Amino acid sequence: VKRTRGILAAVSAGVLMTSLAACGDDSGGGSADEGSGNDSGSGGGEAWTLGTTESITAMDPAGSYDFGSWNMQYSIFQQLMSVPAGESEPVGDAAESCDYDDPTTVTCTLRDGLTFSNGNELTSSDVKFSLERNINIADPNGSGVLLAQLAGEDGKARADAIETPDDTTVTFNLNSPDTTFVKLLSTATTSIVDEETFPGDELLGDDEVVGSGPFKLSQYKEGEQVVLEANESYDGDKSAQAPQVFVQFFKDTGPLKEAISSGQVDVAWRTLSPTDLNDLEGSDDVEVIEGEGSEFRYWVFQLGNEEVQDVAVRQAVAQIIDRETIAEDAYDGTVTPAYSIVPPGFGGQKDSFQEKYGEPDVGKAKQILDEAGVETPVELTLGYTPTHYGPNLVDEATELSNQLSESGLFETSIEQAEWEQYQTLYKKNAYDLFALGWYPDILDADNYLTPFLRDGGFYSNNYSSDEVNELLDQELAETETSARDELISQLQDIVAEDVPLVPSWFGKNVAVATPQMNGVGETLDPTYIFRLWEISKSS
Amino acid sequence: MAVAGGSLPRYVGQRLLLLVPMIWLVLTLVFLLLRVAPGDPVSAAVGGRLAEDELERRREALGLDRPLVVQYLEYLGQVARFDLGNALSDNRPVLEIIQDNGGATLTLTMGAFLFALVFGIPLGLLAGRRRDSASDVFIRVFGIVTYAAPVFVTGLLFVLLVSGTGWPTYDIASPMTKFNTETRTHILLLDVLLSGSSEAIWDVVQHHLLPCFVLGLFLSGVFIRLVRVNLLQTLKGDYVEAARARGIAEKHVIRRHAFRNALVPVITVVGLQVALTLSGAVLTESTFNWPGLGTELIDYLNARDYAAVQGLVTFFAIIVVVVSVLVDIVNALVDPRVRY
Repeated sequence: VKRTRGILAAVSAGVLMTSLAACGDDSGGGSADEGSGNDSGSGGGEAWTLGTTESITAMDPAGSYDFGSWNMQYSIFQQLMSVPAGESEPVGDAAESCDYDDPTTVTCTLRDGLTFSNGNELTSSDVKFSLERNINIADPNGSGVLLAQLAGEDGKARADAIETPDDTTVTFNLNSPDTTFVKLLSTATTSIVDEETFPGDELLGDDEVVGSGPFKLSQYKEGEQVVLEANESYDGDKSAQAPQVFVQFFKDTGPLKEAISSGQVDVAWRTLSPTDLNDLEGSDDVEVIEGEGSEFRYWVFQLGNEEVQDVAVRQAVAQIIDRETIAEDAYDGTVTPAYSIVPPGFGGQKDSFQEKYGEPDVGKAKQILDEAGVETPVELTLGYTPTHYGPNLVDEATELSNQLSESGLFETSIEQAEWEQYQTLYKKNAYDLFALGWYPDILDADNYLTPFLRDGGFYSNNYSSDEVNELLDQELAETETSARDELISQLQDIVAEDVPLVPSWFGKNVAVATPQMNGVGETLDPTYIFRLWEISKSS
Repeated sequence: MAVAGGSLPRYVGQRLLLLVPMIWLVLTLVFLLLRVAPGDPVSAAVGGRLAEDELERRREALGLDRPLVVQYLEYLGQVARFDLGNALSDNRPVLEIIQDNGGATLTLTMGAFLFALVFGIPLGLLAGRRRDSASDVFIRVFGIVTYAAPVFVTGLLFVLLVSGTGWPTYDIASPMTKFNTETRTHILLLDVLLSGSSEAIWDVVQHHLLPCFVLGLFLSGVFIRLVRVNLLQTLKGDYVEAARARGIAEKHVIRRHAFRNALVPVITVVGLQVALTLSGAVLTESTFNWPGLGTELIDYLNARDYAAVQGLVTFFAIIVVVVSVLVDIVNALVDPRVRY
């Protein structure tokens, strides 16, 4: 197939191609080994190269809130807690442990003898400094907003929010009960920086960052490449398996696919399209590896619009939607149908939509509408954006629209808008039902509940329920696991009943790697943390 | 452009003065177009995950809530002080972006020009010399196709063709990893030359060939047609006829008389092609993951980063305008009729 494509390309491009093609030979470089360096690793492995379409906003933890930056920070910095591959509960990283004294107080005990890669000691004072500067800098591209539990009404860090009675003890005094806070301590937003290196009131330059993680930043060329070197002074459970890791940034999926196909990078992670992945699955040179994901795609009802204010209309849509077909036809089976707003594997998760609605059934949908006295067909405007969630969303929107129209109960129209305009339009009630996507900040069911359900959610869909708000407060304050899981289950049942949104699918965490790579599959879990330190390359 | 008076210094002065309103116009257009387009840097980055009040707070922090006039005047003031500001999405100074990434665009465009001249001029010459022959027809078709085919299509076709050969098909980053090349000039080709590592030099040259060739192919179409047409015209000139009448061999007539004169308009067009080359470079860089200013511009456009886009477009505009003025001046020097 590859050969045929080459011949076709040759014919299409014209005879002059041959002169250039003749210049290329195997000795010309660009092979996987050359592109990846060839040093022997301290852990017995070789240097290797990761290719990604993610980008880096800032290396400084106070200046970023995106996948690309956070994944670099997980390698360069330590956090108090860390989520091991394949698990959902965090364990100690810089901290031996972090425990709740009560629902508003968390105390962490640091490991002894921690140092930054520049030799400076890492103490509780650095932890306090790191979190406070993140809140106080409040960078427009930053994630300090996630630390709101430590901020006062003025948005600045409260003076009494973080206490450091000694060099290895940190106590957090939260604004309100929050059982997710310890999980937050495992995210890159709480990365520990050296207070002797980082300024307290502004970001540090990208190539100057110093951390205590398994790698240290060796070189960084914005938008092109990061070179990470194993941090010899790192003393923890996340020792680097390779002496160097090169991270190569791609602007588009096409060159990334090409690079992994030709072995110019050893691993491609985020983001190849379903079509690319299907193509690569047929290749003998690379392996497509899938892990569990937590990406969430859903359709939100705009309750400000009369058409969908009647809950029966929303329930009828939930009764008709055929998620299996959407996953298969729009995404080539690369996603998993979602029957709850909380992904499988999270505490308290239950497939409430499956339980309430069962299989897609137009007859039941008609019954729901008839009993509510709703005149059919109901006119619905579906909205989506082709420029933010990948090219397959148009297929999903078309498929959903067809399913609703073919039921005879709905008369649908589809409208699309470029991402920037789309955000304005869906908040201005331009669509009755619109598509959005979500990645969690922390691996906790609440991260799929509070942002979506409290007072209309972040997307302002005008859904509001006192019962839901109360349950959200309760589950955040509940420290007993089974009781909290029960509350989370109740919330999912309410969502299936009220249908402020319809879950569509959960994504998988997918990477493509050459056969020499080890440890890639293990790190592909719902955290979307790509644990560079656990990956090695065999000779 | 006819200018009364005819003095070269005066003509040059007028052209230089025109620089100011031209650049101001470009700056104003860029500023307005960016604001007219929906969205802003905040909604582009985190619009899908934060509530409206937090988005508003971030907009305020960036000063985007201030009146447009204030932002516009501040922007003009910055440019007047040769300060293009900092990117909003990643805090990089725009001048640093130009310094870091301008070298890649420079080598790409220079390489492309080289390819275009090496391919375009001889082929145009050949076509003109053998008018209406099979080779003329082939070269004309080739010239039209290379000019008409979008750079990104040609680029992808070449990537597809070359990918199986092991020849590098994207970016120029490997010298940084393999050879640990020290950044001295921000022009990688110069940096590896200064490093003296033959391996690194060969690697960088290899990485340059494909993108430069593709963009050069695009430009060569213009040169082919231009050289051919001009050669045909000059071959009809009286002085060429006179040369032939004197018994000078045809190859000497073409080389010494027709070809040199046919190249005069080409020199002018080379200057004017700068704008075309820069726009082609944006697409070429995107196709080959080339770390130049075009790639940065697209990224910042997607991020609705007003400051970065304004700064980069301003830089592009200044280059194009300055080159246009230089071309005018060279024209005036070469052909005095222009300034009268």
